[in-house]
Amino acid sequence: MGRGRGAGHVPAPLRGTAERRDADRTDARKATHHLSIFIASIAFGLVTSAVLALASVGFTLQFAVTNVLNLAYGAVMIASAFIAYAVNQAGVNVWIAAVVAALTGAVFSLFLNNVVYTPFQRRGTSPIAMVIVALGMTLILEFGTQAIAGGTNVSFTMGQGPTFQAGSFQLTGVQLAIIILSVVSMLGIHVLIRFTRLGKAMRATAANRNLARNCGIRTDRVVTLTWLITGALCGLAGAVFAMDAGTFGATSTDLFLVLILAAVFLGGPGEPYGAMLGALVIGLATEVSAAFIVPDYKDVIAFVILLAMLAVRPTGLLGART
Amino acid sequence: MSADQREAGPDDQPKVQGVSLRTVEVTAGYGGSPIIHGVSVHVEPAEVVSIVGPNGSGKSTLLKSLVGIVDVLSGQVLVGDRDVTNWAPEAVARIGVGYVPQVDDIFSPLTVRENLEMGGYLLRPREVSGRVERVLTVFPQLRRMLGRRAGKLSGGERKMLAMGRVLMLQPALVVLDEPTANLAPIVALSVLRDHVRQLALTGASVLIVEQRAKAVLEISDRTYVLGGGQLRMEGTPAELAASPDFIESFLGGQGATARAAGT
Amino acid sequence: MIYYLTTLLVYGGVDAIACLGLSQQFGVAGVTNFGFIIFQAAGAYAAGVLSLPSDSANGAFQSYVGGLHLPFPFPLIGAAIVGGLLALPFASIVGKRLRGDFAAIGLLVTAVMANLLVTNYRPFLNGAAGLSLVPSPLGGLMNPQSVGYQWGYSAVAVVLAALTYLFVTRITNSPYGRTLRAMRDNDIVADSLGKNLRSLRTSSLVVGGAIAGLSGGMLVGFINLWDPQAWGYAETIVLFAAVIIGGLGNHRGAVLGAIVVPLGFEEASRYIPAIGNPGLIPALQWVAIGLLIVLFLWFRPQGILPERRRIIAGQAFTEQSTAPDPTGAGQRVGRVLDVDAAPPPSTAPVRLRVRSDADARDIILETVGLVRAFEGVRAVDGVSIAFQRGQLTGLIGPNGAGKSTTLAMLAGTLPVTEGRILYRGEDVTQIPAFRRARSGLVRTFQLASEFKKLTVMENLLTAVPDQRGDTFRAAVLGRRYWGRQEHEATERAKQMLEEFGLSALADRYAGDLSGGQRRLVEIMRSLMAEPEVLLLDEPMAGVHPRLAHQIGERLVGLCGKGMTIVMVEHELAIMDEFCDPVVVMAEGRVLAQGTMASLRATEEVVEAYLVG
Repeated sequence: MGRGRGAGHVPAPLRGTAERRDADRTDARKATHHLSIFIASIAFGLVTSAVLALASVGFTLQFAVTNVLNLAYGAVMIASAFIAYAVNQAGVNVWIAAVVAALTGAVFSLFLNNVVYTPFQRRGTSPIAMVIVALGMTLILEFGTQAIAGGTNVSFTMGQGPTFQAGSFQLTGVQLAIIILSVVSMLGIHVLIRFTRLGKAMRATAANRNLARNCGIRTDRVVTLTWLITGALCGLAGAVFAMDAGTFGATSTDLFLVLILAAVFLGGPGEPYGAMLGALVIGLATEVSAAFIVPDYKDVIAFVILLAMLAVRPTGLLGART
Repeated sequence: MSADQREAGPDDQPKVQGVSLRTVEVTAGYGGSPIIHGVSVHVEPAEVVSIVGPNGSGKSTLLKSLVGIVDVLSGQVLVGDRDVTNWAPEAVARIGVGYVPQVDDIFSPLTVRENLEMGGYLLRPREVSGRVERVLTVFPQLRRMLGRRAGKLSGGERKMLAMGRVLMLQPALVVLDEPTANLAPIVALSVLRDHVRQLALTGASVLIVEQRAKAVLEISDRTYVLGGGQLRMEGTPAELAASPDFIESFLGGQGATARAAGT
Repeated sequence: MIYYLTTLLVYGGVDAIACLGLSQQFGVAGVTNFGFIIFQAAGAYAAGVLSLPSDSANGAFQSYVGGLHLPFPFPLIGAAIVGGLLALPFASIVGKRLRGDFAAIGLLVTAVMANLLVTNYRPFLNGAAGLSLVPSPLGGLMNPQSVGYQWGYSAVAVVLAALTYLFVTRITNSPYGRTLRAMRDNDIVADSLGKNLRSLRTSSLVVGGAIAGLSGGMLVGFINLWDPQAWGYAETIVLFAAVIIGGLGNHRGAVLGAIVVPLGFEEASRYIPAIGNPGLIPALQWVAIGLLIVLFLWFRPQGILPERRRIIAGQAFTEQSTAPDPTGAGQRVGRVLDVDAAPPPSTAPVRLRVRSDADARDIILETVGLVRAFEGVRAVDGVSIAFQRGQLTGLIGPNGAGKSTTLAMLAGTLPVTEGRILYRGEDVTQIPAFRRARSGLVRTFQLASEFKKLTVMENLLTAVPDQRGDTFRAAVLGRRYWGRQEHEATERAKQMLEEFGLSALADRYAGDLSGGQRRLVEIMRSLMAEPEVLLLDEPMAGVHPRLAHQIGERLVGLCGKGMTIVMVEHELAIMDEFCDPVVVMAEGRVLAQGTMASLRATEEVVEAYLVG
C-alpha cells in the first residue's frame, strides 16, 4: 500500500483540467494584461462553480435530511462518470450518457443510504464512526471502479463545440453547456424546495424529523426521495466533472471532494442556497487565485476557507448561529 | 368547563367531532424496559382530561406511547374504534390526532407562517391559507409574528405556535405534553386557561399532561393521578381537590402514595 | 528469500509501531486524529533530511531543507522528536467543542492539504519527487545490501516494535492510562472528577505523534526514499482500519491489526496471480480494506481482540454484610478531619445549626446573585444561598425551577452569566470544573455518567484524588512508583463496595449495570473523591426505597463528620428524613428555606408545586 512501494494508487488531481487550463492560460497571458487574465479566470471559475454547485447542493441536502456527511459522494460521482464513459464508448452521445450517469448516481446513492448509513444510524453509531464507515464505502466504490475500469485515465468521446469569446472571456460550447445545465438544475432545486409538497416535506424533515412525522409527513419516504434526487445530481455532477476535466481516473474526485466540503461548509451544512453560494465563491476563488498565484496551489484556498469555517462558524454563512 | 359552555364554540369555527381515546392496560417503555405498567385511561368525545403526577411518574411516556414514539409492550390504544397500538406517528396524525410535544415542538428554522403551513401538510393546497386564517382567529397574537423565524420566539409564543400548528388539521383529539413546562407562571396560566380552552372549544377531545396540577384542574372535566408508572387516583377536579391524599401525593410522604395505592 | 523475510520483518515492525501509536492515541485516549499519517510522514522526512548530505542528486539535484548528514541514531531520534513537536499545533484543533464528524473532516483535510503543499513546494522537501538516496543508517560501516545488515535492520525494527509495545502497555496499565480511558468514555465526567482534559489530550497527541514519527524514521532508513504518494489520506484510513479490525483499546490487537491489514494485504498480493490489468490486484486490495472496515464496524466493532477487562489482582470479597455500616467507617472524609473509627449510629436528621452572622466563617459554599441566562431564558434568576459546613441541604422545586442548573454552576460544569460563587471564602466563579474538583468541590450527574468500558472498581479508582500514578511521568516510572498507593486506594474502594453491598459487581463493566446500580456507583465514586463539598444531582432516582434510606443515613453520618452536602431531589420523603435545611426553588429563584415540615405548611410552596 503506498509507501513508495507502488500500489497503482495514483492520485490525479484534476490533471486534465490543469493541462488544458495551463494551455489556455498561456494564450491569455499573451495578452499581457492583468485584467484580461482576471476575466479569463472568471470564465474558468464559472465552469468550476457550475460543476461544484451541482455536487454541493446534493451533498448538503443529504446532510440536511439524514444528518450524515456522505464522504462517499465523490466516489459515487466518479463511478457514475465511468458508467457514462462505458455508455459513451458504446457510441452514445455524451449528453445522453450524462443522463445515464444521473440515473446510476441515484441508484448508488439510495443503496448507500438505505443499506449502509441508515442501519448504522439506527444502531446509534457515533458521528465519528459514521465518518469511518463513509470512508470505507469510498474505498469500495472508488477502487471497485478502478478494478473494473482499469487504472489508466480515460476521456469521453466528444467534441468541444464552438468557442464563444467576448474579449478575454472565453468558453467552449461544452463549458457553456455545463454552466447552463447547472443553472437550470439550481432553478429546479429552488422550485422543488420552495413550491412543491415534497420540498416542504424535505424542509420539515430536515428541521425536526419527529415533529414532521407528527404533521403526518411520511419521513421515510421523504428521505428516500431526497437521496434519489440528490443521487441524480451526484451522478450528473460526476459526468460533467469528467467532461470538464478532459481526462479522468477513478481517484480524480479525491481532491474535488474537498472543494465540495469547502463550498458546503461555507454556505452552511444542510443549507441548499448556502451550497450554491459556496460553490460560486469557491469556484471563482480557486480559479482566480490560480491566475495570480502558482496554479498548483489553487485548491489550497479552498482548504483554508474550509478550515476557517470549521474553526469560526461551523454553521456556515447562511446557517443559524447555534 | 361545562358541556353547554362548549356548545357555543368560538365564532365561525366549524365544530369538530371529538373522538374518544381509550387505553387498555398499557405497559410501555423504551427498548423493552417498561416505565408505565397496566395503565388504563379514557377520554370521552369532547372531554378535557388531564393527567398529573410527580416527576418521573411516567406521564410523558404514556403520551408518547399513544402517538407512536415509545413502544407499547402490552395492552392496547384505541382511538375511536380503531386500534392504533404501535402505529407510526405519521399514521396516528393522519387519523386526526394532534400531538404537542414538551420540547422541540416547533420548526425553529422556519417562519411562523411556514410552521403553520407545515401543520397543514395533509390538507389540500387550496385549503391551507383559509385554515391559517382560522387558526389566527383562535390565536390572534400570532398574526403579527408571521414573518418571524420561529426559533426566535419566546417560550409562551412558541407554545402558542405549537398549538396553532396542531390546530391546522382540526384534530379530533389533541394530546399535549406539559404545555406549561419552562413557562413563567402568568404565561402558564394563560396558556392553560385561554389557549387550551380554545382547543377544547373547537370540539376536540383533549388529553393534557401537566405538572401544574392545580391550574390544570381548573380546566379539566376529569383528572388522573399517575405515580411510579401506575394509575393512583382518578376523579373530577372537585373530588380530587377535596382529597387530602391528592395534595400529599405531590408533596411527598410515602404514606400518601402508599395509601392511594392501597398497600 | 532472505531478503523477503527481512523486508517483511522491517515492514511489520514499522507498521506495528505506527499502529501502536494510533492505538494509544485513538483506542485508549479516544483522540480521533484523522491527520495521523502526517506524523509518520514528518518523521520520515525528518530522518531523511537529517541523514542526507547537504546536496545530493538523483538525475537532477534534489532540493530540501536540512541535509545535516548526521549518523545513526540521530536521524531516528530526530524523527520521533519532530513527530512529537508537530502534535502541538494540532492539540489546539482537537480540543475544540466541535461535532465529532466535523472535527474529523477538518483533520483529514489538513492531512490532504499538507500533502498538497509538500508536493507543490519543491524547495522544502523536493516536492512530488520526494527524497531519494537517503543513506541507510550506519551504511558506511556495513554494506546495506549484505545479508548481515538486513538481518540487523530487521532485528532493530522488531526490537523497537517490542519496546514500543512495552511502553504503551506500561502507560495504559497505570492509573494515568485509566484516566485516559475514562476521558475517552465520558470526558465531561472526567473533567468533573479533576482530570485536566486539555493536558491529557495534548500529551496523547504528542506521544502518538512521536511514535508515528519513529515509525517513519525506521521506514525511510530502510527503503531509502520517501515521497508524498506514500502518505495520502488513504494511508491514514489503512491505519485506522488496522486498529479497528485488530481491536480498539487493545495493544495486542493493534499489532495484530498491523500484521493483518497493511502487512497482510501487501504480502497477500504477491501470491495472487497477476490477472487482468496490472492495477487490478492493488485496486481490489483497497476494495477489500473498505469492505473489512464496514463489515467489522457492523458485526464486530470491538475488533478481533477486544479491549481486555481489567481485574485488579488480589481481590477477595467478603460476604455482603446484612447491616451495612451507615456511617462508613474507614471512609475518609474531607480534608480537614481525620479518619474516625467509631461510627455514631444516628439515623435522625442532623439538627439545624442556628444561622447567625457570627457563624459566617462556617459558610463553606455560597452563591451571590447567581444568574444563568441562555437564549433569552433566565433559568436561574438571582439566587443567593449560603451553605454551612456540615449540613445536608436539600434543593427541591418543580420542573424547570433551575435546581440542576444551579448545581452545575456550583460545580463549574456550566458557565455563570452573572453573580459569584464563593468556596471557602474565595471567588471560584471563573475557575474550571476540574480545578474545583481537585480542591474538594465534587458533583454527580443526573443522567448516565459512569465510565461504561471501565469496571466498577476502575470507576471508583478514577475518582481518587492526588493519585501518584496519575501523571505521564508516573506511568513511565511504572508500578514500583505508584503501586503502593494504588493498593491502598483499591482497599478503600473494596470497603466502599462492601458497605453498599455491591462487592460482587466490582469487575463488571459499569455500562452493563442496571439503572439503580449505576446510580450507586456514581455515589460511591463521588465519595471516593474525598469531597469537602458534595453536590448530588438526583442521586436516588431509580434506587430502591430501602437502599435510598440507607444511603441517606450514610450521607447524614458523613455530614456529622464535617462533609457538606447539597442534594437535588424529587423524592420528598428523603427530604423529610435527612435534609435540613431544605431550599425550595421555583422559576429560577429561591422561594423558601426551612425543614420539610415547615415548608409543607407554607402556602407559597404548596402553590409552587401545584401551580407553579
